[in-house]
Amino acid sequence: MHIYAFGSLCRGEVDFGSDVDLLSIIEGPDSRFDPDVFAKYSYDRIRSLWKEGNPFAWHLATEARLIFASDARNFLLDLGRPAPYGRCAEDCQKFFRVYEVAFEALTSGKCSLVFELATVFLAVRNFATCFSLGMTKQPNFSRHSAKEIGERSLNISDGAYRLLERSRILAIRATGPMIQAQELQACLEDVCAIRSWMQKLLTEVKPDG
Amino acid sequence: MDDFINRTDAQRRVLLTVNRVPGFAEELCGLSRKAIERWLSVNRIDSRAELATILFQISSKLFFLSNKSQEQVTEEYRTLSLEVESLTLRLRERVSGSFLDAQSRK
Repeated sequence: MHIYAFGSLCRGEVDFGSDVDLLSIIEGPDSRFDPDVFAKYSYDRIRSLWKEGNPFAWHLATEARLIFASDARNFLLDLGRPAPYGRCAEDCQKFFRVYEVAFEALTSGKCSLVFELATVFLAVRNFATCFSLGMTKQPNFSRHSAKEIGERSLNISDGAYRLLERSRILAIRATGPMIQAQELQACLEDVCAIRSWMQKLLTEVKPDG
Repeated sequence: MDDFINRTDAQRRVLLTVNRVPGFAEELCGLSRKAIERWLSVNRIDSRAELATILFQISSKLFFLSNKSQEQVTEEYRTLSLEVESLTLRLRERVSGSFLDAQSRK
């Protein structure tokens, strides 16, 4: 059994109410690990993520910190570097699609407002993380990766960005004041502008696409 | 279709099913355990009620599937996906019942 910390805590990005991301790597089903607290993976599954160069493997390889090892070895370190990440174009296209579906729902007027805004935040973050991993020399796994990829960073108003982040926190941690429909109306233009940011980066990822 | 998109769509359907019912003090914001607990608390719904139990079951299955993200579609994945679909149908029936009860009390 191996237990690791990863995520914001390991990057020093601590704020009040920050989640602590914990990973347990185990042989088989193990009810001691609460799935609300631990991401539970088998050794085989981790090996296969490494082999396919999955972004989560790169995330762990970049920042996971060992907390406990039943065999006194650092399993992830022993795996070496994951295979090169080869799905940048497909993954960026996927998160573009996730954004588009959420935006469409938001403008349809009949949706779960907070969930759709939280989905936009997740799409933006994952898009930027995959882009940074596939297209730059500095993969960024931060929650704010979209604002930390240099000149390609997302440039929308702080108010709009905070609205998206607040929604994500509400959807996952369930903390903070509820979002009002008027708040979306005030930021709709910025949320719409995310489309052109993604489209521009997609032309770099898939120059022929 | 991609697993991530499937899970997002599944969550969207569940949340719409709940949030289309008028009269709740707050909408259900997500399917994390904490989001469900907040929604139950704000709307004064017993956490042992069938509605709550179904939501927790869906949450647990979806989060289990998310740990398996980008995996080939396995038999286990397919089974769990079907269970989520079936629970969503039960939720819809349960919510429709609550909605009709509320309407008939007006």
